[in-house]
Amino acid sequence: MVFLVVFVAAIFGNVRCLAVNVTNLANSQPKRVLMLFSEAKDVPGNIMLEQAVKAEMLKDSTDPVVFSSEYLDASHFSGKEHFRVFQNYIGKKYTANDLDLVLAFPSQDYTLAGELPDALFPVVPVVFVAINEMDAPLEISKLGVTGIVQRFDIRGTLGLIKRLQPDTRRVVVIGGSTPTDRATLGRIEEASQSLEGVQFEFWTNRPVAELPGLVRSLPEGTVILLGSILRDVTGQTYYTPQVAQMLAPQASVPVYVLGGWSLGTGALGGSVVDPEDLGARAGQLALRVLAGADPENIPIDVATKGTPMVDWRAIKRLGIKESRVPAGTVIRFRPETLWDEHRDLILILLAVFLAQAATITGLLVQRRERLRAEAEIMNQRTELAHVTRVSTMGQLTSTLAHELNQPLGAILRNAEAAEIFLQKENPDLEEIRAILADIRKDDRRAGHVISRMRSLLKRRSLELKSLDIAELLEEAISMAQPDARARRVFLALQLREKLPAVRGDRVHLQQVLLNLILNGMDSMAGVAASQRLLTVSAKTTGGKTVEVSVSDTGAGIAPDKIERLFEPFFTTKPNGMGMGLAISQTIIEAHGGKIWGGNNETRGAVFFFTLPVDDK
Amino acid sequence: MNLESNTVYIVDDDASFLTSIARLLRAAGYSVQAFDSAQKFLDQLAPGMAGCVLADLHMPGLNGLELQAALAKSASPLPMVFMSGQGDIPSTVQAMRRGAEDFLTKLAPKDKLLDAVRRALERGVQERKSRQHLQELRGRFAALTARELEVLEHVVLGKMNKEIADDLGINERTVKLHRTNLTRTLQVQSVAELTRLVVEAGLFKCEKPE
Repeated sequence: MVFLVVFVAAIFGNVRCLAVNVTNLANSQPKRVLMLFSEAKDVPGNIMLEQAVKAEMLKDSTDPVVFSSEYLDASHFSGKEHFRVFQNYIGKKYTANDLDLVLAFPSQDYTLAGELPDALFPVVPVVFVAINEMDAPLEISKLGVTGIVQRFDIRGTLGLIKRLQPDTRRVVVIGGSTPTDRATLGRIEEASQSLEGVQFEFWTNRPVAELPGLVRSLPEGTVILLGSILRDVTGQTYYTPQVAQMLAPQASVPVYVLGGWSLGTGALGGSVVDPEDLGARAGQLALRVLAGADPENIPIDVATKGTPMVDWRAIKRLGIKESRVPAGTVIRFRPETLWDEHRDLILILLAVFLAQAATITGLLVQRRERLRAEAEIMNQRTELAHVTRVSTMGQLTSTLAHELNQPLGAILRNAEAAEIFLQKENPDLEEIRAILADIRKDDRRAGHVISRMRSLLKRRSLELKSLDIAELLEEAISMAQPDARARRVFLALQLREKLPAVRGDRVHLQQVLLNLILNGMDSMAGVAASQRLLTVSAKTTGGKTVEVSVSDTGAGIAPDKIERLFEPFFTTKPNGMGMGLAISQTIIEAHGGKIWGGNNETRGAVFFFTLPVDDK
Repeated sequence: MNLESNTVYIVDDDASFLTSIARLLRAAGYSVQAFDSAQKFLDQLAPGMAGCVLADLHMPGLNGLELQAALAKSASPLPMVFMSGQGDIPSTVQAMRRGAEDFLTKLAPKDKLLDAVRRALERGVQERKSRQHLQELRGRFAALTARELEVLEHVVLGKMNKEIADDLGINERTVKLHRTNLTRTLQVQSVAELTRLVVEAGLFKCEKPE
């Protein structure tokens, strides 16, 4: 959002710039601004303020702005003579025609904003910025000068002290002897009245040089509040941050300050005058005036609110809990976190991670979907396998009825015979015993037929077990035998070698075998009975698999249909469902084997399937 | 060779069923011979064998219907009863049309089975009697000379001696002599009796108006 606003502003800025260029070419001269400072060039607060004002004006000005700066250095060179020389110098150096604005930064008094520019450049508008506890004199306003009077936020700073260190019982106040320094001390004294339970001590009579020794052993519960100190009792001149730097590293207690420029010296912080914020406000005011606003109509802005600001290192050093720092406090000198240092990299990495995570999640979801679909398909195949098995059973009904009726018939006849024997006068008990043994045998036989039928009809999933392949083939042959008899087909089982056990599901494999055998028998319907031969054989291939083949002497498979044999619903039989081979393929592949079919060299079709040898 | 009229020849490839039904029929008082294949039964088939055949419809090698066909062509066309694990209509119809005595499932009630066997045996006896009678008759006709047979053929058509003599181009007296000889040989008293014998023996069928 912020970016958008800036972007829009930039566009409008450009548009405005173009408009000025076209309509006002003659006036596109750079704006000349003369900056007059009361203090020396090297006063830290002034340097920060000057840069902030310049930056703000350059940022928002439609025209180029050219700055000139002059420094009276009143703290070192007081007196009327020095001021006169300075004024002459300025008067000689600049003419009113050259200037579009005078920006004054008075400190001790407001002469720099009032008398001097009024005398030298009466037509040039003046804007001043004063960090001062004294109000601007009335004549300043009469001269049509506007500006900002920024006061130290003493109450705010005392509030911050109570907030950060609630146990504070004593405040040592240090200040200088210039009028500005004294005005500040007066304000502190005034504000101290509002703070109950805290004792204020004003160390104004001690030379600054002695102070570091004195602050070294201040007791707990004490804080130092550094006011303004441009000159001490001995007449030695200082800058406030300079004094802060002398005291804070030595002090046993925290040092609070009033100007943002004093931070970084080891001082803890305060509700300070932020030179950047003040510079920005002053820059905006200067631009308004440069743009043509009449200073007379702009009232002098007296600001007392500071910016809560702390030095993170001091907070840590003094063991103040970070949670005590009020929200909205500007925290300086916090070591850059990884985030601050490598924000872009982290964002890119994060994006990559997120993309990756999303991809992985996507893949996982896809995988789950696939697994679910596969399970569904498997389920349907089991279902379908059951259906085909039932239909295979349907084809085998005559077989099964026959198979079941054999033992049942035998039981019935035996029972009837026994009845007759028992009616005789001297029943032949040996015969009856033999009958009962036969009944029991046939009963078991009938039971086997039924359980085989049931297992074929049951819905079941694959249960892989070690299987004797020869036994499996014999079983399938014997199941198909009655049907083969009825259809006049000769069934042969060829096992030339001893076969290893395979891993498989007996019932499912029987289904495959029966399906292939029944298909083979179907294909031989049009062949003379004497030539109907169906051969089931098996051999080991490569030691790892057993290959089973079911070969017939029937009509064979049309070459164009061989490829489609295993497709579901593909059938060559008039009333076939076309599922037999498809299901057989599913079953064999579920065993890890392969199934394929083709024609014999001589006549008929042959189907093969492989099964893995059980290596356990 | 078994000439007993109450012998039941059982043919079934299922050993267990074969034993049980043989046991039942034996208990019911029949003489029983069991075979586990149709071929084995046919191999020991001899002319003049009596009894009936109880055969399974589905068998490897020759099945029941094929056995029936082979038996019909043989010198001992014994009556047959079929059994099947599960009967199917086409086989049943075919078997019955070819003269099977009955077609039973293997689970048919005992009474129905014994009844079928009894009927088959009775029919066997009947058929055997008529076959023997026919054989005896044909034996008598076989004693006639070719000329006597020619004369006989004309006699049973009701022709007079003179007509026969003209037809055959022989003397009327010679015709008379042949007639005397053949009635003596056939031991008949009248032309009516002679005609009955000819019909019974099924001679000259092609010339008999339907």
